[in-house]
Amino acid sequence: MKYFSVRKSWILVFAIMTIFTLAACSSDETGGGSGEEPDEITAWAWDPNFNIAALELAKESYEKDIKLKIIENAQDDIVQKLNTGLSSGTMKGMPNIVLIEDQRAQSFLKAYPDAFYPLDEYINPDDFAAYKLAPTSLDGKQYGLPFDTGVTGLFFRTDYLKEAGYTMEDLSNITWEKYIEIGKDVKAKTGKDMISLDPNDLGLIRVMIQSAGSWYVKEDGTTVHLKDNEALKKAFQNYKAMMEADFVKANSDWSQFIAAFNSGDVATVPSGNWIGPSIEAEASQKGKWAVAQIPRLDMEGAVNASNQGGSSFYVLNIPGKEKAAEFLAETFGSSKQFYQDLVLDVGALGTYKPASEGEAYQAENEYFGGQKLISDFSKWMEEIPSVNYGMHTYAIEDILAAEMQNYLNGKSLEDALADAQAQAEAQLK
Amino acid sequence: MGKAMNNTGSIPYTVKKKRKSGGLKKNYIGWFFILIAVAGICLFYFYPMVQALLLSFQSGMGANLEYVGLDNYIRLFSDPTFIAALTNTMIYLLVQVPVMIVLALFFSVLLNDATLKFRGFFRLAIFLPCVTSLVAYAVIFKYLFGVDGLVNRFLIDLSITSEPLNWLSDPLLAKLTIIIAITWRWTGYNMIFYLSALQNVDKSMYEAAKIDGASALQQFFYITVPMLKPIILFTSIISTIGTLQIFDEIMNITNGGPGNATLSISMYIYNLSFEYTPDFGYAATVSYVIVILVVLLSLIQFKVAGDNK
Repeated sequence: MKYFSVRKSWILVFAIMTIFTLAACSSDETGGGSGEEPDEITAWAWDPNFNIAALELAKESYEKDIKLKIIENAQDDIVQKLNTGLSSGTMKGMPNIVLIEDQRAQSFLKAYPDAFYPLDEYINPDDFAAYKLAPTSLDGKQYGLPFDTGVTGLFFRTDYLKEAGYTMEDLSNITWEKYIEIGKDVKAKTGKDMISLDPNDLGLIRVMIQSAGSWYVKEDGTTVHLKDNEALKKAFQNYKAMMEADFVKANSDWSQFIAAFNSGDVATVPSGNWIGPSIEAEASQKGKWAVAQIPRLDMEGAVNASNQGGSSFYVLNIPGKEKAAEFLAETFGSSKQFYQDLVLDVGALGTYKPASEGEAYQAENEYFGGQKLISDFSKWMEEIPSVNYGMHTYAIEDILAAEMQNYLNGKSLEDALADAQAQAEAQLK
Repeated sequence: MGKAMNNTGSIPYTVKKKRKSGGLKKNYIGWFFILIAVAGICLFYFYPMVQALLLSFQSGMGANLEYVGLDNYIRLFSDPTFIAALTNTMIYLLVQVPVMIVLALFFSVLLNDATLKFRGFFRLAIFLPCVTSLVAYAVIFKYLFGVDGLVNRFLIDLSITSEPLNWLSDPLLAKLTIIIAITWRWTGYNMIFYLSALQNVDKSMYEAAKIDGASALQQFFYITVPMLKPIILFTSIISTIGTLQIFDEIMNITNGGPGNATLSISMYIYNLSFEYTPDFGYAATVSYVIVILVVLLSLIQFKVAGDNK
């Protein structure tokens, strides 16, 4: 027995020694940031039909010679890889160009100072939709090259609405209260649900509050603003009214959400413009859809324009950054022609304002009954109120989602928001 | 190793002699062979563990970490999301592990019956869920339990409910869905341990018990369960550890929702690191809570079920 325990302690000593040796090794290592200029520029993005396609198009249209390697990753994977890579301190294996969702951008910019390369010398931020600038810049420096817009619209089935006695006119320039009223009417007259919602996803709440220029945080991006947030209160009330109006078809994930309107079960889809291709995927409904402006909150300063999703390109502060920045600047950053091709070939709507004068933006969309969809969206895009998303959107949203459940189950709105406020403040020190 | 030396008695003399003369040397050679494994374990287990412990005393966004002493550990107690995650995980543990162990025991005794036809088929059928990928089966469960899912259709067709149940968006039903899912996935795995242990139980004991007039139930409680005790202890410890670390199912079936109703500790660690603005320090603290819980619960299980050997 004794023989055995001596042997065991020997292992322990060995283990400890190994740990110390390794610790010593790793602390000597410095970041691999400095190095020579690479031949090849790498870019990470998600969605082959949209972002990747846009990058491919940019590569084709770029006049200079560039070796661009586009790597497709799921968005979650990009977030994980960036976080682990950047926090480890070595920039090895990091791409030159990366796509980051606007609502996440601030947390990357603040959490990893010096990891990103400012683009002020390469692009003119005023060329882009104003609402895109707050999330993509930090301390007066423009880090992101604003890419796609998530400008929202109220996609609706013209046939169902007509059956209930409503036209495009009746849906334009309305409040969410009016929307709920119409929804009840549509349900009564056609038997169709008005909307499909995932009770666990507060995306619609975000759409509502941004239309009033409000967010989960105040303009500084860090002060939690839930309690006494009028816009949020109204959004919560609307959300509850919808849930109680018996016209919501519940879904629990993306594919069920898509199925809800492709199958013809719901009459409207308030969403970012990127939902268009998914709607068009159901060929049998051609000509039965149109898009109205998104409803607004019934309060001062609220407009019939909002945003859902959208992302921007960032250049990492590693060798090759000048090449990468130049590439982005001459394609996404300044080429009108590129944006015309982008709309025609990929169907992606950017936030570069000068592009909207082009011909491609005036095209009529046959699927949507000849509506000038791109032109409408780019008009609404310029009205989107600018808000600073700050860096805690997803953390706060999880807290709010829990309180939303409580509110739906009978907790008072004031208590629910006050509790959420207290919880968020405690968590986001 | 001492035992191994004694067993060499049957080896021819010449070989034995050779071995004996190189006794000390052999140990060094032995150590040489496991050197790579030991170094690997140190590099990939012990070193990260120590680093994670150090990390758990730091806090800050992303790369801006600084030492904050015990602040992270104090923060745990006033963090409602963490408490919700801990409560949920404990509910999974207290409900799911006993149900699964009992079910596995039940199935294994049934399937050990020599007179049962198609034994192999049934064993395979119950074990098969274990070979499925965690993500794949979680996604299938998500669809089964969706509002338009097969389970709801089944319940409505049998007139058990008139309205489809919101399995995934009702806090209680969502927990139940998760528990059903993990039970389905892991019961067969535990059953295999019991089945193999049952092969070592002497049949003459059952015969003797039968002659003494013991009922099937008495045989089960007084012979089968005591004989399987070490295996039951083993399976309940690995199931406890597994449940404390539960992640895939929650991530894919409910994503923690509705609200935080199904959030588990591991899922919270993921959220802290990758979903929110990353705070790896606090995430490491939460992960050490799992370590502490595993150690504590295993100790309790040893004390309650162990033989004090």
